[in-house]
Amino acid sequence: MKKPKDLKPSTLSLHAGQRPDSDFGARATPIYQSSSFVFPDTETAAGIFNVERAGHVYSRITNPTNAVLEERISALEGGIGAITTASGQAALVLAITTILEKGSHLIASKSLYGGSHNLLEYTLPRFGIDTTFVDLRKTNDIKKNIKKNTKLIFGETLGNPGLDVLNIPKVSKIAHDNNIPLLVDSTFTTPYLMQPLSLGADLIFHSATKFLSGHGVVIGGLLVDGGKFDWGSSAKFKTLTEPYEGFHDMNFVDEYGPAAYINRARKEGARDFGACMSPHTAFLVLQGIETLSLRMERHIQNTRSIVDFLDSHQSVKSVCYPELDNHPDHKLAKDILPKGCGAVFTFQLEGNKETGKKFIEQLNLFSHLANVGDAKSLVIHPASTTHHRMSNDALKKAGITESTIRLSVGIEDCDDLIEDLDEALTYSTRK
Amino acid sequence: MFYFPTIKLKKNSEPIVFIHGTGMDHSVWTLPVRYFSRKKRDVLSIDLPGHGKSSGKLISSISGFSDQVFQLLDNNSIKKCSIVGHSMGSLIALEMASSQPHRIKAMSLIGTAFPMQVNDQLLQFAKSDVQKAIDILTFMGYSNQARIGRNKNPGMWMTESTRRLMQRSNKGVIYNDLLACSNFKGGLEKAKKVTAKVQLILGSNDFLTPTRKAVDLIDSFKNPDVKEIVNSGHTLMVEDPNKVLDYLIEAL
Repeated sequence: MKKPKDLKPSTLSLHAGQRPDSDFGARATPIYQSSSFVFPDTETAAGIFNVERAGHVYSRITNPTNAVLEERISALEGGIGAITTASGQAALVLAITTILEKGSHLIASKSLYGGSHNLLEYTLPRFGIDTTFVDLRKTNDIKKNIKKNTKLIFGETLGNPGLDVLNIPKVSKIAHDNNIPLLVDSTFTTPYLMQPLSLGADLIFHSATKFLSGHGVVIGGLLVDGGKFDWGSSAKFKTLTEPYEGFHDMNFVDEYGPAAYINRARKEGARDFGACMSPHTAFLVLQGIETLSLRMERHIQNTRSIVDFLDSHQSVKSVCYPELDNHPDHKLAKDILPKGCGAVFTFQLEGNKETGKKFIEQLNLFSHLANVGDAKSLVIHPASTTHHRMSNDALKKAGITESTIRLSVGIEDCDDLIEDLDEALTYSTRK
Repeated sequence: MFYFPTIKLKKNSEPIVFIHGTGMDHSVWTLPVRYFSRKKRDVLSIDLPGHGKSSGKLISSISGFSDQVFQLLDNNSIKKCSIVGHSMGSLIALEMASSQPHRIKAMSLIGTAFPMQVNDQLLQFAKSDVQKAIDILTFMGYSNQARIGRNKNPGMWMTESTRRLMQRSNKGVIYNDLLACSNFKGGLEKAKKVTAKVQLILGSNDFLTPTRKAVDLIDSFKNPDVKEIVNSGHTLMVEDPNKVLDYLIEAL
């Protein structure tokens, strides 16, 4: 008896979660642009509301188009289920609030996307949820900061913008030894480059706006549950182990076992916070995912060429990319990111803030905007934009200086991109 | 033995007892349990000894499991009940209904067959490389279509959910359960002794207990009600939960 072979990622990208439409045979996923769904009779309605029957009620909570995307990302990540959200930021809020409440604490990487940092540093404390930011490379710092009320450890698979590679096996071990789940933001890596659940992470979220879509026309997020964490193993996660009055005393661990977390997230967070993704957005994200493996291959190929080009350019002080020998996580990256370290990276120009400004304004193909992961190449100056609300100290800790430039390399012809960069470098550093 | 929901049973209660399959637990019955509870029926969705939240030693035979379920009923002064069993649970239900026929009012067997012989190599994997056995059981536990997805329960990826549930089982459970299924003898004779109302729910694309392997069993019951769910594999409660519930409502 041979071990059965599961479908490969490129196949799942095209098929997972969808079969041809049963009414008309549509091959593409139909867009069910409907706020609500008709019940055949009152008894069925009562059954779906009481979660004794499967079905859709209202698109804030579930929708057939979104469900395809939820299954697809689950399949690609090796998760048990997922929830589509209005944005990556909404997915992070949902991930946290499903298990943390007033008086809870989490540990987060000090190198986070500015939006995530804002949420943890400034907003969640207003609701009684506190964060300690640590360098997740320093395992003793993680251990030292775990408190009785610590309920989550959170990092990015590739930190923003310094590309710290999260040592998921090591960090998840510390987390699990303390009955704490590990949440990762996998936006920069996508399931094409890394499957965090197989390395030890418990929960994943994505900004689907980025590489998963690739076209830069939607805002969306995804929260994926790995189904491995044993929520009932301690008394920490009361939202999952104690009766929930808001859903007729449902005990999620008792009723759903491994799927306790994702069910609570949907039955409470999706229902009450209401940050849902529109079905049309879900359709557009699905269109992107269909070509994920092809695009990511090209993103990586182009990035490697551009990193090589910049690394040997006289106007560039340094390039920060984990595939380079001088990156602090070079060895780890080789182990857990063998297919590539993403297509977003930073470099330091020779010169000052003014040089950076001139460089960005001179670029022609690279668009100056606040996004990453588009099929088109993008550029930004983090200190004055994405990370401008961070203090100087926090910026320093995150490895950001006045001359840091962040590129998100697209899938254009690489020769054209290099020429564009070369011209801008020459112009901006001209004496 | 753990059972869900943890209700205090009414006096003279005649509950519906749900019995899970190999390496599973009570959570596979969440949807029908919620339905029958809403309809004010007493329900016991059990974790067999050594499974899920039930402590106790593993039991290596179907008759041993059956004795344990009867003991649970006795401890709660339950004289009569209806039973629903999936896969290995269906064999336990059959054993119960044949050994103490007067105590079983109605019985629904889901994803069943007799004999439920397990491939030797799968048994070997279950003993020496349980992850491989879980992968095979997960793969063969679903129809070809379901492996691609389109879960009726929105947003859940079926195969990985099943894999996770089996991965949670304690050491030795999968091997124990598969061996118990393989060693179960006399199923056809036992079926002839059953006096309860019998229903079988089978999936037309079941690779673990194919419908052709249920034919002799069907012929051995008196007037069984056979329901076939077209295109469903072995994990019928996940692949077509609403149809399974409709059929259970008919039977119970």
